[in-house]
Amino acid sequence: MKHYLKQLLIAGSLIPILYVGMSSAAEKASALKNDSLRTEPYADAKISGSFVRGESLEIIKKQGAWLQVKAKKGSGWVRLLSVKRGVTASSNQAAGVLAVASGRAGTGQVVSTTGVRGLSEQELKAAKFNEEEVKTLESYTLSAEKGRAFAKAGNLNSVAFKNLKEVKGGAQ
Amino acid sequence: MSANQTSPSKSSTQQFRLISIVVAGMLGFTSSQSVAFDFKGALKDAVEKEISQQSEGSTAPTNAVSTTESAKSNNSTASSEATFNWKNPSTAEEITLGREIAGNLLGAAPLVKDAALQKYVNSVGRWVASQSERPELPWRFGVIESEDLNAFAAPGGYIMLTKGLYRKLQNEAQLAGVLGHEIAHVVKKHQLKVLQKQQLLNIGAGLLSDKYAKDNAMISKAIGSGAEISARSLDKSAEYEADRLGLSYATRAGYEPYGLTDVLQTLGQSNTSDASVALLFKTHPHPDERLSALSESVGGQLDKMTNGKTLEKRFYLLK
Repeated sequence: MKHYLKQLLIAGSLIPILYVGMSSAAEKASALKNDSLRTEPYADAKISGSFVRGESLEIIKKQGAWLQVKAKKGSGWVRLLSVKRGVTASSNQAAGVLAVASGRAGTGQVVSTTGVRGLSEQELKAAKFNEEEVKTLESYTLSAEKGRAFAKAGNLNSVAFKNLKEVKGGAQ
Repeated sequence: MSANQTSPSKSSTQQFRLISIVVAGMLGFTSSQSVAFDFKGALKDAVEKEISQQSEGSTAPTNAVSTTESAKSNNSTASSEATFNWKNPSTAEEITLGREIAGNLLGAAPLVKDAALQKYVNSVGRWVASQSERPELPWRFGVIESEDLNAFAAPGGYIMLTKGLYRKLQNEAQLAGVLGHEIAHVVKKHQLKVLQKQQLLNIGAGLLSDKYAKDNAMISKAIGSGAEISARSLDKSAEYEADRLGLSYATRAGYEPYGLTDVLQTLGQSNTSDASVALLFKTHPHPDERLSALSESVGGQLDKMTNGKTLEKRFYLLK
């Protein structure tokens, strides 16, 4: 009997974990802008729906630079830059709760590093010029040729691409 | 270039006066430089116009250097004196200023003692910087000892990112995107322009006298206490511009274009009350806003850029 109870208890505690696991199978997301949904992951594919900025979405699949999502008005493919992955920042309280539980809340990982002042405004203000460290930093400087060799080793080739321009009336 | 430098003798006297006024201003108003900003809107406009003209003209860095060198020899009686041409700083002066700022930041958080890591970051950074409009600068990159999530750029090509931010990265394309953003701040002289504006306003407001002209610690006075300049915000528009250019540079370097946006996606999911992102969130628009702005600018322009590399296998993992 006792044994049975124990098993039940364990099973019971597993349920929420499983549940969480299942609910995150379709990743939550939100729309970064108004956009159309398409039947295939191409710009010229047929439109199958649309969504508006801020709308909640569910990511079904990723393929290259495209995401298949489910929106209020249908589902389909959209460029990945139209979508913010994860839940919106305002409802992101779980992280805070976890931090409290693990005793990390408020301590700010900054303080824990030994011998390092940290990067709060006050700490930056109190900083003293460190000649030795600048010299070390400068000693790592590489020539353009070295950079090219590194790129070549990684099979990186420079490609033509014009600097992006500001879009008037955009999100700014 | 020519319009601003028609009369070298006139500009060098102006420069001399300018410098002396700056120094005196720094001494008199160290605690409240912002006083100058309240003086006159017209003056501010004039200064802004001046700075934008100068920076248009100084895209040829070698010219800028030689102009200042000659100006220096014209007006200095003792050659060891530190002078600084705030109106049109040479590349050499820009680097001197950046070095001071970088040194102060390193005073708060030293370099991670891992030469292989630093070498790796310099390799990626150097290659991305070579795709920018200022490939000739002596670019230097460093990972600093801090669990904060942040990155910094100082004039002349000094770029640092925290160990905390590096730890969040998953591949080389993401590192390239972050470094690209900082490189763009240097290329566009965002921080330099803020400092120039502040100094020229002090000068124009006539707050200063020639008395302190021989002070040779003027640069450190101009940038304020310690590394506080690194905690200051730039215009939001400067951040958006750095995002657009950073993504462009990394893309030109052959990386998968979504490195920077991947990192912004990650940052957007950090808890805003977490101390490690406090400074980043205070000095930058929210990552969601930055993603939206980038998304609008990109439109369909990346549709054909499908051969970019992420190089996660080569990505240097922290010890």
